Amino acid sequence: MTGAAGAALASLVFPGTARSAKHFGTLAESELLIGFAHTSPVNDGGWTQKHDEAIRHLHALYPAIRTLYVESVPYSADATRIFRQFVAEGAQMIIATSNYGDFISDVAEQAPDTIFLECDGHRVSDNLGWYYMTHWYASYVIGIAAARLSRSGRLGYVASFPTPSVLASANATLLGARSVNPSATLRAIPINSWFDPQAAASAGAALIDSGCDFLAGIMDDPGYLRVAQQRGVWAAMWNTDMRQFGPDAYVSSVVLDFAPFYAQTVRRRLAGSWRAEGRFLKLGEGVDRDRWGARVPPAVAREADDVRRRILAGWSPFTGPIRDSRGIVRVAEGHTMSDADIYAWDWQVQGVSGLV
Amino acid sequence: MYRALSESVSPAQPRPAGYPHGVPPLLALEGVSKYFPGVVANENVSLAFYPGEIHALLGENGAGKSTLMNIVTGLYRPDRGELVLDGYGVSFDGPDAAIAAGIGMVHQHFKLVPRFTIAENLALGRRDMRGILSRRKLVAFARREAEKYGFAFDVEARVETLSAPEQQRVEIVRVLGRGARLLILDEPTAVLGPSEVSELYAALRRFRADGGAVILISHKLEEIMALADRVTVLRRGRVVATHLAGSLSPQALVAEMIGHAPVEALPAPEPLAVDPDRETISLRDVTMRDESGRLRVHPVSCDIFRGEIFGIGGVTGNGQVALAEMLAGLRHPDTGRILVAGQDMTGRPVAAFVEMGIGYVPQDRLRQALAPALGATENAALRVFRTPPVGGRFLWNEDAATRYARLLIDEAGIALADPSRPVRGLSGGNQQRLVLARESRIASRFLVACYPGRGLDLGAMETMRSALVALRNTGRGVVLVSEDLDELLALSDRIAVMSGGQVKAILGRGEATREDIGALMSGHGSGSR
Amino acid sequence: MRGEGRQMAVISFRRIVIARMIAIGIVFLLVAAGIYGLGLDPGMVGRLVVTSTFGTRFGLENLALYMTPLLLTGAAVWLALRAGLWNIGAEGQFLAGASAAAAIGLSGGANPALAGSPAAFMSSSLTLVLAMTASFLAGALWSALPAAGRAWLGVSEIITTLLMNFIALYMVYALVTGPWADKVTGAQMSSARIEVVLPAFAGAVHCGWPIALLAVAMLALLFRRSRFSYCLALCGSNPEAARYAGIDVGRHVFVTLLLSGGIAGIGGMIEVFGTVHRLQGGLANGYGYLGIVVALLARKSALALVPAALLMAIILNAGIVLQTVQVSASAVLAMTGLLVFAIAVADDYAAWSRSGRAS
Repeated sequence: MTGAAGAALASLVFPGTARSAKHFGTLAESELLIGFAHTSPVNDGGWTQKHDEAIRHLHALYPAIRTLYVESVPYSADATRIFRQFVAEGAQMIIATSNYGDFISDVAEQAPDTIFLECDGHRVSDNLGWYYMTHWYASYVIGIAAARLSRSGRLGYVASFPTPSVLASANATLLGARSVNPSATLRAIPINSWFDPQAAASAGAALIDSGCDFLAGIMDDPGYLRVAQQRGVWAAMWNTDMRQFGPDAYVSSVVLDFAPFYAQTVRRRLAGSWRAEGRFLKLGEGVDRDRWGARVPPAVAREADDVRRRILAGWSPFTGPIRDSRGIVRVAEGHTMSDADIYAWDWQVQGVSGLV
Repeated sequence: MYRALSESVSPAQPRPAGYPHGVPPLLALEGVSKYFPGVVANENVSLAFYPGEIHALLGENGAGKSTLMNIVTGLYRPDRGELVLDGYGVSFDGPDAAIAAGIGMVHQHFKLVPRFTIAENLALGRRDMRGILSRRKLVAFARREAEKYGFAFDVEARVETLSAPEQQRVEIVRVLGRGARLLILDEPTAVLGPSEVSELYAALRRFRADGGAVILISHKLEEIMALADRVTVLRRGRVVATHLAGSLSPQALVAEMIGHAPVEALPAPEPLAVDPDRETISLRDVTMRDESGRLRVHPVSCDIFRGEIFGIGGVTGNGQVALAEMLAGLRHPDTGRILVAGQDMTGRPVAAFVEMGIGYVPQDRLRQALAPALGATENAALRVFRTPPVGGRFLWNEDAATRYARLLIDEAGIALADPSRPVRGLSGGNQQRLVLARESRIASRFLVACYPGRGLDLGAMETMRSALVALRNTGRGVVLVSEDLDELLALSDRIAVMSGGQVKAILGRGEATREDIGALMSGHGSGSR
Repeated sequence: MRGEGRQMAVISFRRIVIARMIAIGIVFLLVAAGIYGLGLDPGMVGRLVVTSTFGTRFGLENLALYMTPLLLTGAAVWLALRAGLWNIGAEGQFLAGASAAAAIGLSGGANPALAGSPAAFMSSSLTLVLAMTASFLAGALWSALPAAGRAWLGVSEIITTLLMNFIALYMVYALVTGPWADKVTGAQMSSARIEVVLPAFAGAVHCGWPIALLAVAMLALLFRRSRFSYCLALCGSNPEAARYAGIDVGRHVFVTLLLSGGIAGIGGMIEVFGTVHRLQGGLANGYGYLGIVVALLARKSALALVPAALLMAIILNAGIVLQTVQVSASAVLAMTGLLVFAIAVADDYAAWSRSGRAS
């Protein structure tokens, strides 16, 4: 796909990040019922657990609101049924903590007075919005540390599926690494699952065998961290602080915290000021790097954190020229990728292999 | 509670001839009654079965024989009365208890597992054959069992590949192997040819000589006369009398059984008037092979006329059924032609034969002639559903079918209030009446009947025979396949004798004696055509 | 033979209904006990199920949407059962029909320039008719191999139709991750969205629902008045007698299984064009297997497929409701199994009278 076509497509998929004009009236705290649809069990130790923690935080802030949730909602028409059931039970707000595509947008059309929010979604209508965290900035910061820690300059990446989110994470890690070691490379192995400790460990071992001495990835479990600990290489994680599973290997994690966003959303809904929008959670707004690992040298941490501060100040590292893995310039000199561009990333940058 | 039973059994029942006093019967029934709502199945039945005797039970369908045997084998418990085994009162909790007590039954429909080998079937349910069995152990066990009772089997053959007589032998060995001292046989010769019958007789006599007791349920008087020591006649659930075999003529037994003297002779068929213009079924050099390619019917040519009863005799399995099925259009000849009333019907579908007015009574009512789970309505329409009023090219008229069923039921003289009830609930005799009525209506030209008397009691048999003669006398042709030589000789205008798939001879009335026909059936002798 | 009782040849409707009510009552009690065991208040859960299923427009619509595929897969299995055949493959035939329909829907492509014009209406009507025809043919084709095996080689259709289900499932996976994968919205395991839809009937209920009801009514009519149904009953009851009656048993078996597959295939088309709007890995959702349950509940009456499908829809929807109080989806499967078991026992029990006639 050419850049122009990609941009055209992006504008189609994101029909304006402008906010919708539709108003929803004010609500008393005790009137609000929110239904959450999760893609995995709430005790998965990763993604869904982070959302569940945020829901508990919400209850602490607003003791009178009621919430419902369903775990392991399949990506099928049953998802539609669960959303419809939330509506039938009287929910004014329904939040899917993962992408459910048509299955949520169809219900949003059928229930115009209910607010729908989709994490990792793409569509905005009067009562449907989406949100996503810009985890790629945290990955970029971790990538800098990776290049300093790796002796071989070869990074390994345990991927789930080759989705834009995974591509953005892998690309950002290597771009960060290349900012300090231009010859660094990143090799990815997709294991077709978000949660499969066995496969993640096997993939991690295979990457180490092929010469990688730093592992990263998007996994809801610490599978490859344990391998890194055993084999004496470095590892960076995702979702939560997992240092207990590999204290020597642990570098950092892309940690997520949805509590502030959910609190803000509920506050707006109660006040009647909620408007549908597509919303990127910036670095520091619920996504960040974790506290550095015990064995990460302070100099390395300092260097990476300097870049983190620049990003927080508004600088974007995703600025051209950026070449793809075939060597073609995809982002021209002087151009900066918007979050929307990164959110739809469907190519791997030069030096990344295994995902396309 | 031991009791001397010789006194308690009613004096009307003679002890077996030459039997010493003081020895108790193996099994005695004392005043056994069994009631079902509105029906007395058995009332006050007292009977004794002694070791070393063959005891025949005679009675019409519905006389209570089956219920009585279900009580003896532990399936039912009597409402009144008791069972006394070796002088001790017993009560069977179930079939297992009866088997443990040494009572075994060989059913008319064998209780074997068709997919299992003979050896596996014999080992089933045997306490000494539990746990993990090697094939060798199993085979050795089965051979031992078979030898013990004087049979030779290929014990590794699967039961489904065996003929009915062979299966019966396996069943007998199985029952005996489980320690039966009292062997009950239900219509054991129904599936056997003459030579197999004598083998069975020999085996039963051996069993008797070794001190076993046999209960023989049979309709066949000659069989009872030949084999039994004593005969008990049951009627309407009660014992009419027990006789020493040979002390009473067959006619007297029949009289006791049905309550009136049997029709002595059939309406004498008129002599066959030779009229070359009469319609025929004509076979022209017809042959047929079975699925395995064996020639079942050797080239045969003959004409069967309207207005005659054409008997086909032979030992079971010599091609009679194959021939009959060709006449009815159910099978097609491999070579040769079939003409009905001059019209070539070779290879035409069954429906065309029905349209030509050829009715067919198959040998096995439940497996072929009827759909047992469906109602009388559906079964009445079985062969006429293509034509109005019951049906048409696409339609099915339930009301018309019900009316048609009622008509047939009336004609057949069956008491059946609701034609939607499954016909499996009807007695064998009534089922056969229904089939016969249905096929007779179809048979505007010919009726082909295969073993129509099988399993019928004497009353039903008489009705069936009269019906065949009536058809003949009204100008229809009847093809009668039968194993009963007396029946063939009494009814047939001509008899074709088959052996090894060949028609050995076609004999006119009075042209041959029983002995001649017997010789032809066994493949010897020759006859005029 | 069991005990002293006797199996009745014809079981009255009243006996069946009473026995089944008792069975359903017992299952409800067991489920309530299970819910209590999970630490929930059965009364609260019961009220929630009833009010959100029957008390809201969405709940009632859900029932109709669940009923639609169940009516068709139920009818498919029911039809085969008339001939004594077990079509375990409705799931695969449903998917085959859905795939064929999706092929039509994806290739047609609605032209946005024509939106709202009579030409667009014509073209979408044509697409729907084509898709329905294709789905019928594909469903029939999917059962053709097992049908031929059963009709002329005596291969058990139970095994073969079941195995075809897996082939269909993986075929759909291959299609929706390969050639037909959605490249526009990146939906997982899904084809692109099909823009042509079945017209709405009422609210979210599309006209697939009345179509399915009509199909069942037609089946009922066919089985009252057709010679074909008589022949099927005969083939199912006693093939040997059917041969004697001059019926080509093999041909009837073949045609019946083909029709059965075709009906299930239409179910797949309706699910794609009415409810899901994509070909999707999870599309069949077990409807083919639940169709067996529906057919068994309906016994010999085609019209009874409607209440049977409704009951099944209520159970499935109760499953969705229960998930919002953290009772897992597999508990619903267990509930369905329990219900089928209880009803099977009830039917058998209804067939036994304490006393009988003499043998």
